[in-house]
Amino acid sequence: MPAVERGEWLRLAGACAGLLGLASALGIAVNMLHPAPTRLPWVGDWDHHIETKAFRAGIPVTFLAGARERVTDLAVAIFDARLPEQYAAGHLPRALNLPVGEADERLGAFADRLTMETPIMVYCGGADCADALDLAVKLREYGFTDVTLYPGGYAEWIEYGGKSVAGGQP
Amino acid sequence: MIGIRRAYVWAARLAVAAIFLGACIAKIRDPESFALAVHRYRLLPGEWVNLLAMVLPWIELTCGLALLAAPARWRAAGAAIGFGMLAVFTGAISLNLVRGIEASCGCFSTRADAAVSDGWNLVRNGALLWLAAAVFVEAFRSAAARPPPRAPL
Repeated sequence: MPAVERGEWLRLAGACAGLLGLASALGIAVNMLHPAPTRLPWVGDWDHHIETKAFRAGIPVTFLAGARERVTDLAVAIFDARLPEQYAAGHLPRALNLPVGEADERLGAFADRLTMETPIMVYCGGADCADALDLAVKLREYGFTDVTLYPGGYAEWIEYGGKSVAGGQP
Repeated sequence: MIGIRRAYVWAARLAVAAIFLGACIAKIRDPESFALAVHRYRLLPGEWVNLLAMVLPWIELTCGLALLAAPARWRAAGAAIGFGMLAVFTGAISLNLVRGIEASCGCFSTRADAAVSDGWNLVRNGALLWLAAAVFVEAFRSAAARPPPRAPL
Protein backbone atom coordinates (compact mmCIF):
# COMPACT_ATOMS: atom_id res chain seq x y z
CA MET A 1 0.00 0.00 0.00
CA PRO A 2 1.46 3.43 -0.87
CA ALA A 3 2.40 5.76 1.97
CA VAL A 4 -0.66 7.14 3.65
CA GLU A 5 -0.64 10.19 5.85
CA ARG A 6 -0.75 9.58 9.59
CA GLY A 7 -4.03 11.45 9.89
CA GLU A 8 -5.76 8.84 7.73
CA TRP A 9 -4.73 6.08 10.15
CA LEU A 10 -6.03 8.17 13.03
CA ARG A 11 -9.35 8.68 11.26
CA LEU A 12 -9.51 4.93 10.65
CA ALA A 13 -8.85 4.28 14.35
CA GLY A 14 -11.62 6.72 15.20
CA ALA A 15 -14.03 4.93 12.86
CA CYS A 16 -13.09 1.56 14.41
CA ALA A 17 -13.70 2.96 17.90
CA GLY A 18 -17.01 4.39 16.72
CA LEU A 19 -18.20 1.07 15.27
CA LEU A 20 -17.12 -0.88 18.36
CA GLY A 21 -18.74 1.65 20.67
CA LEU A 22 -22.00 1.62 18.73
CA ALA A 23 -22.09 -2.18 18.63
CA SER A 24 -21.32 -2.49 22.34
CA ALA A 25 -23.98 0.04 23.28
CA LEU A 26 -26.54 -1.77 21.09
CA GLY A 27 -25.66 -5.18 22.53
CA ILE A 28 -25.89 -4.01 26.12
CA ALA A 29 -29.09 -2.02 25.51
CA VAL A 30 -30.84 -4.93 23.76
CA ASN A 31 -29.84 -7.28 26.58
CA MET A 32 -31.29 -4.84 29.13
CA LEU A 33 -34.55 -4.80 27.16
CA HIS A 34 -34.87 -8.59 27.31
CA PRO A 35 -37.40 -9.88 29.84
CA ALA A 36 -35.65 -10.91 33.06
CA PRO A 37 -35.74 -14.70 32.51
CA THR A 38 -33.88 -14.46 29.20
CA ARG A 39 -31.60 -11.55 30.09
CA LEU A 40 -27.91 -12.40 30.45
CA PRO A 41 -26.51 -11.29 33.80
CA TRP A 42 -23.40 -9.11 33.59
CA VAL A 43 -21.36 -11.87 35.16
CA GLY A 44 -22.34 -15.51 34.76
CA ASP A 45 -21.62 -18.15 37.36
CA TRP A 46 -19.32 -20.03 34.99
CA ASP A 47 -16.94 -21.11 37.74
CA HIS A 48 -19.63 -23.45 39.05
CA HIS A 49 -20.72 -24.67 35.64
CA ILE A 50 -20.47 -28.42 35.31
CA GLU A 51 -18.09 -28.17 32.32
CA THR A 52 -15.72 -25.92 34.29
CA LYS A 53 -15.68 -28.44 37.14
CA ALA A 54 -14.97 -31.25 34.67
CA PHE A 55 -12.16 -29.24 33.09
CA ARG A 56 -10.61 -28.64 36.51
CA ALA A 57 -10.97 -32.31 37.39
CA GLY A 58 -9.22 -33.28 34.14
CA ILE A 59 -12.29 -35.07 32.76
CA PRO A 60 -12.73 -34.61 28.98
CA VAL A 61 -16.15 -33.43 27.88
CA THR A 62 -18.11 -34.34 24.78
CA PHE A 63 -21.23 -32.78 23.31
CA LEU A 64 -24.21 -34.03 21.35
CA ALA A 65 -22.34 -34.95 18.16
CA GLY A 66 -19.71 -36.84 20.17
CA ALA A 67 -22.38 -38.57 22.25
CA ARG A 68 -24.15 -39.74 19.09
CA GLU A 69 -20.90 -41.20 17.76
CA ARG A 70 -20.19 -42.99 21.01
CA VAL A 71 -23.68 -44.50 21.19
CA THR A 72 -23.10 -46.17 17.83
CA ASP A 73 -19.53 -47.21 18.65
CA LEU A 74 -19.78 -50.63 20.29
CA ALA A 75 -16.29 -50.27 21.74
CA VAL A 76 -17.52 -47.49 24.04
CA ALA A 77 -19.20 -48.31 27.35
CA ILE A 78 -21.95 -45.88 28.33
CA PHE A 79 -22.95 -45.35 31.94
CA ASP A 80 -26.12 -43.62 33.12
CA ALA A 81 -25.42 -42.17 36.57
CA ARG A 82 -29.08 -41.52 37.44
CA LEU A 83 -31.26 -43.49 39.84
CA PRO A 84 -32.58 -46.89 38.67
CA GLU A 85 -36.17 -45.66 38.34
CA GLN A 86 -35.07 -42.73 36.16
CA TYR A 87 -32.96 -45.09 34.07
CA ALA A 88 -35.87 -47.51 33.69
CA ALA A 89 -38.15 -44.70 32.49
CA GLY A 90 -35.80 -44.00 29.58
CA HIS A 91 -32.09 -43.96 28.81
CA LEU A 92 -29.63 -43.68 25.93
CA PRO A 93 -29.32 -46.81 23.76
CA ARG A 94 -26.73 -49.31 25.13
CA ALA A 95 -26.40 -47.35 28.40
CA LEU A 96 -25.83 -49.29 31.62
CA ASN A 97 -27.14 -47.97 34.89
CA LEU A 98 -24.47 -47.09 37.45
CA PRO A 99 -25.80 -44.64 40.05
CA VAL A 100 -22.87 -42.78 41.53
CA GLY A 101 -23.86 -43.68 45.10
CA GLU A 102 -23.80 -47.39 44.28
CA ALA A 103 -20.77 -47.46 42.01
CA ASP A 104 -18.59 -49.32 44.53
CA GLU A 105 -21.04 -52.22 44.81
CA ARG A 106 -22.32 -52.36 41.24
CA LEU A 107 -19.23 -51.82 39.12
CA GLY A 108 -18.12 -55.43 39.64
CA ALA A 109 -21.16 -56.59 37.66
CA PHE A 110 -19.65 -55.04 34.53
CA ALA A 111 -16.15 -56.46 35.06
CA ASP A 112 -16.48 -58.89 32.13
CA ARG A 113 -17.33 -56.02 29.73
CA LEU A 114 -14.62 -53.56 30.76
CA THR A 115 -10.88 -53.19 30.79
CA MET A 116 -9.07 -50.23 32.28
CA GLU A 117 -8.59 -48.89 28.72
CA THR A 118 -12.23 -49.24 27.62
CA PRO A 119 -13.53 -45.85 26.43
CA ILE A 120 -16.36 -44.84 28.76
CA MET A 121 -18.96 -42.08 28.42
CA VAL A 122 -21.02 -41.06 31.44
CA TYR A 123 -24.10 -38.89 31.63
CA CYS A 124 -26.95 -38.02 33.97
CA GLY A 125 -30.12 -35.93 33.73
CA GLY A 126 -28.67 -32.82 32.13
CA ALA A 127 -26.50 -29.78 32.62
CA ASP A 128 -27.86 -29.17 36.14
CA CYS A 129 -26.86 -32.54 37.60
CA ALA A 130 -23.43 -33.39 38.96
CA ASP A 131 -23.84 -37.17 39.35
CA ALA A 132 -22.19 -37.99 36.03
CA LEU A 133 -19.16 -35.86 36.82
CA ASP A 134 -18.89 -37.46 40.27
CA LEU A 135 -19.10 -40.89 38.63
CA ALA A 136 -16.48 -39.94 36.04
CA VAL A 137 -14.10 -38.83 38.78
CA LYS A 138 -14.75 -42.05 40.68
CA LEU A 139 -14.10 -44.18 37.58
CA ARG A 140 -10.82 -42.34 37.04
CA GLU A 141 -9.89 -43.07 40.65
CA TYR A 142 -10.62 -46.77 40.04
CA GLY A 143 -8.05 -46.62 37.24
CA PHE A 144 -10.15 -46.27 34.08
CA THR A 145 -8.07 -44.15 31.74
CA ASP A 146 -10.55 -43.05 29.06
CA VAL A 147 -13.58 -41.52 30.76
CA THR A 148 -15.57 -38.78 29.04
CA LEU A 149 -18.45 -36.74 30.40
CA TYR A 150 -21.52 -35.89 28.32
CA PRO A 151 -22.84 -32.89 30.27
CA GLY A 152 -25.93 -32.37 28.09
CA GLY A 153 -27.19 -35.68 29.45
CA TYR A 154 -30.53 -37.35 28.93
CA ALA A 155 -32.45 -34.03 28.74
CA GLU A 156 -30.45 -32.75 25.78
CA TRP A 157 -30.43 -36.17 24.11
CA ILE A 158 -34.23 -36.25 24.13
CA GLU A 159 -34.60 -32.55 23.22
CA TYR A 160 -32.69 -33.16 20.00
CA GLY A 161 -34.65 -36.24 19.01
CA GLY A 162 -32.34 -38.95 20.34
CA LYS A 163 -33.71 -42.46 20.70
CA SER A 164 -34.69 -43.42 24.24
CA VAL A 165 -34.81 -46.98 25.51
CA ALA A 166 -37.07 -47.85 28.44
CA GLY A 167 -36.63 -50.71 30.84
CA GLY A 168 -34.28 -51.98 33.54
CA GLN A 169 -30.67 -53.06 33.35
CA PRO A 170 -30.02 -55.53 30.50
CA MET B 1 -8.24 -5.50 -15.49
CA ILE B 2 -9.59 -2.72 -13.28
CA GLY B 3 -13.09 -4.07 -13.90
CA ILE B 4 -12.08 -7.54 -12.73
CA ARG B 5 -10.40 -6.08 -9.66
CA ARG B 6 -13.52 -4.03 -8.87
CA ALA B 7 -15.76 -7.09 -9.29
CA TYR B 8 -13.47 -9.12 -7.05
CA VAL B 9 -13.55 -6.51 -4.30
CA TRP B 10 -17.34 -6.26 -4.58
CA ALA B 11 -17.68 -10.02 -4.35
CA ALA B 12 -15.34 -10.02 -1.33
CA ARG B 13 -17.43 -7.29 0.33
CA LEU B 14 -20.64 -9.21 -0.24
CA ALA B 15 -19.15 -12.49 0.95
CA VAL B 16 -17.62 -11.14 4.17
CA ALA B 17 -20.70 -9.03 4.95
CA ALA B 18 -23.02 -12.00 4.33
CA ILE B 19 -20.93 -14.19 6.62
CA PHE B 20 -21.03 -11.67 9.48
CA LEU B 21 -24.72 -10.88 9.02
CA GLY B 22 -25.57 -14.58 8.85
CA ALA B 23 -23.40 -15.39 11.85
CA CYS B 24 -24.94 -12.82 14.19
CA ILE B 25 -28.56 -13.98 13.87
CA ALA B 26 -28.45 -17.12 16.02
CA LYS B 27 -26.27 -15.39 18.61
CA ILE B 28 -28.63 -12.43 18.96
CA ARG B 29 -31.63 -14.76 19.16
CA ASP B 30 -30.17 -16.94 21.90
CA PRO B 31 -27.51 -15.09 23.90
CA GLU B 32 -27.51 -17.66 26.68
CA SER B 33 -26.52 -20.50 24.34
CA PHE B 34 -23.93 -18.26 22.73
CA ALA B 35 -22.46 -17.47 26.16
CA LEU B 36 -22.11 -21.23 26.72
CA ALA B 37 -20.35 -21.55 23.33
CA VAL B 38 -17.95 -18.75 24.35
CA HIS B 39 -17.35 -20.43 27.71
CA ARG B 40 -16.51 -23.72 25.98
CA TYR B 41 -13.44 -22.14 24.40
CA ARG B 42 -12.07 -21.75 27.94
CA LEU B 43 -10.01 -18.77 26.89
CA LEU B 44 -11.74 -16.03 28.84
CA PRO B 45 -12.11 -15.59 32.59
CA GLY B 46 -15.71 -16.40 33.61
CA GLU B 47 -16.44 -12.75 34.39
CA TRP B 48 -15.94 -11.74 30.76
CA VAL B 49 -17.96 -14.47 29.07
CA ASN B 50 -21.40 -12.87 29.35
CA LEU B 51 -20.22 -9.41 28.35
CA LEU B 52 -18.58 -10.80 25.22
CA ALA B 53 -21.72 -12.82 24.43
CA MET B 54 -23.81 -9.63 24.70
CA VAL B 55 -21.57 -7.50 22.51
CA LEU B 56 -19.89 -9.74 19.92
CA PRO B 57 -22.98 -10.50 17.77
CA TRP B 58 -23.67 -6.78 17.51
CA ILE B 59 -20.09 -6.12 16.44
CA GLU B 60 -20.63 -8.70 13.71
CA LEU B 61 -23.88 -6.98 12.72
CA THR B 62 -22.37 -3.47 12.55
CA CYS B 63 -19.31 -4.76 10.67
CA GLY B 64 -21.54 -6.58 8.18
CA LEU B 65 -23.65 -3.48 7.58
CA ALA B 66 -20.58 -1.23 7.31
CA LEU B 67 -19.05 -3.57 4.73
CA LEU B 68 -22.23 -3.57 2.70
CA ALA B 69 -23.35 0.01 2.72
CA ALA B 70 -21.02 2.44 4.51
CA PRO B 71 -18.69 5.09 3.01
CA ALA B 72 -15.07 4.07 2.43
CA ARG B 73 -13.61 4.97 5.84
CA TRP B 74 -16.33 3.15 7.79
CA ARG B 75 -16.10 0.26 5.38
CA ALA B 76 -12.36 0.08 6.06
CA ALA B 77 -13.09 0.13 9.79
CA GLY B 78 -15.63 -2.69 9.38
CA ALA B 79 -13.11 -4.72 7.37
CA ALA B 80 -10.33 -4.09 9.91
CA ILE B 81 -12.51 -5.15 12.84
CA GLY B 82 -13.82 -8.12 10.86
CA PHE B 83 -10.28 -9.16 10.03
CA GLY B 84 -9.32 -8.92 13.70
CA MET B 85 -12.34 -10.97 14.78
CA LEU B 86 -11.66 -13.63 12.16
CA ALA B 87 -8.03 -13.85 13.27
CA VAL B 88 -9.09 -14.31 16.90
CA PHE B 89 -11.77 -16.89 15.96
CA THR B 90 -9.25 -18.82 13.89
CA GLY B 91 -6.76 -18.86 16.74
CA ALA B 92 -9.42 -19.98 19.22
CA ILE B 93 -10.69 -22.79 16.98
CA SER B 94 -7.10 -23.94 16.39
CA LEU B 95 -6.51 -24.05 20.14
CA ASN B 96 -9.67 -26.12 20.63
CA LEU B 97 -8.53 -28.55 17.95
CA VAL B 98 -5.07 -28.84 19.51
CA ARG B 99 -6.58 -29.39 22.98
CA GLY B 100 -8.99 -32.01 21.63
CA ILE B 101 -12.14 -30.16 22.73
CA GLU B 102 -15.03 -31.59 20.71
CA ALA B 103 -17.05 -28.35 20.68
CA SER B 104 -18.91 -26.62 17.89
CA CYS B 105 -17.29 -23.33 16.90
CA GLY B 106 -20.47 -21.41 17.75
CA CYS B 107 -20.09 -19.56 14.46
CA PHE B 108 -23.50 -19.87 12.83
CA SER B 109 -25.48 -22.00 15.25
CA THR B 110 -25.67 -22.13 19.00
CA ARG B 111 -27.71 -25.37 19.00
CA ALA B 112 -26.35 -28.40 20.79
CA ASP B 113 -26.44 -30.42 17.56
CA ALA B 114 -24.26 -27.96 15.62
CA ALA B 115 -21.36 -29.65 13.85
CA VAL B 116 -18.13 -30.03 15.80
CA SER B 117 -15.25 -27.76 14.67
CA ASP B 118 -12.68 -29.28 12.35
CA GLY B 119 -9.99 -28.26 9.89
CA TRP B 120 -12.63 -27.07 7.45
CA ASN B 121 -13.45 -24.18 9.81
CA LEU B 122 -9.81 -23.07 9.59
CA VAL B 123 -9.78 -23.26 5.78
CA ARG B 124 -13.00 -21.23 5.60
CA ASN B 125 -11.64 -18.63 8.03
CA GLY B 126 -8.38 -18.42 6.09
CA ALA B 127 -10.33 -17.60 2.92
CA LEU B 128 -12.42 -15.02 4.79
CA LEU B 129 -9.29 -13.39 6.21
CA TRP B 130 -7.96 -13.05 2.67
CA LEU B 131 -11.21 -11.47 1.46
CA ALA B 132 -11.48 -9.13 4.48
CA ALA B 133 -7.90 -7.96 3.83
CA ALA B 134 -8.77 -7.23 0.18
CA VAL B 135 -11.82 -5.21 1.22
CA PHE B 136 -9.78 -3.30 3.77
CA VAL B 137 -7.06 -2.35 1.29
CA GLU B 138 -9.60 -1.14 -1.28
CA ALA B 139 -11.67 0.81 1.25
CA PHE B 140 -8.67 2.35 2.98
CA ARG B 141 -7.18 3.48 -0.34
CA SER B 142 -10.50 5.03 -1.34
CA ALA B 143 -10.78 6.82 1.99
CA ALA B 144 -7.20 8.11 1.76
CA ALA B 145 -7.74 9.33 -1.81
CA ARG B 146 -10.60 11.59 -0.74
CA PRO B 147 -9.67 14.85 0.95
CA PRO B 148 -11.02 15.11 4.49
CA PRO B 149 -13.99 17.45 4.83
CA ARG B 150 -12.89 21.03 5.41
CA ALA B 151 -13.85 22.83 8.54
CA PRO B 152 -16.24 25.72 7.82
CA LEU B 153 -14.53 29.10 7.72
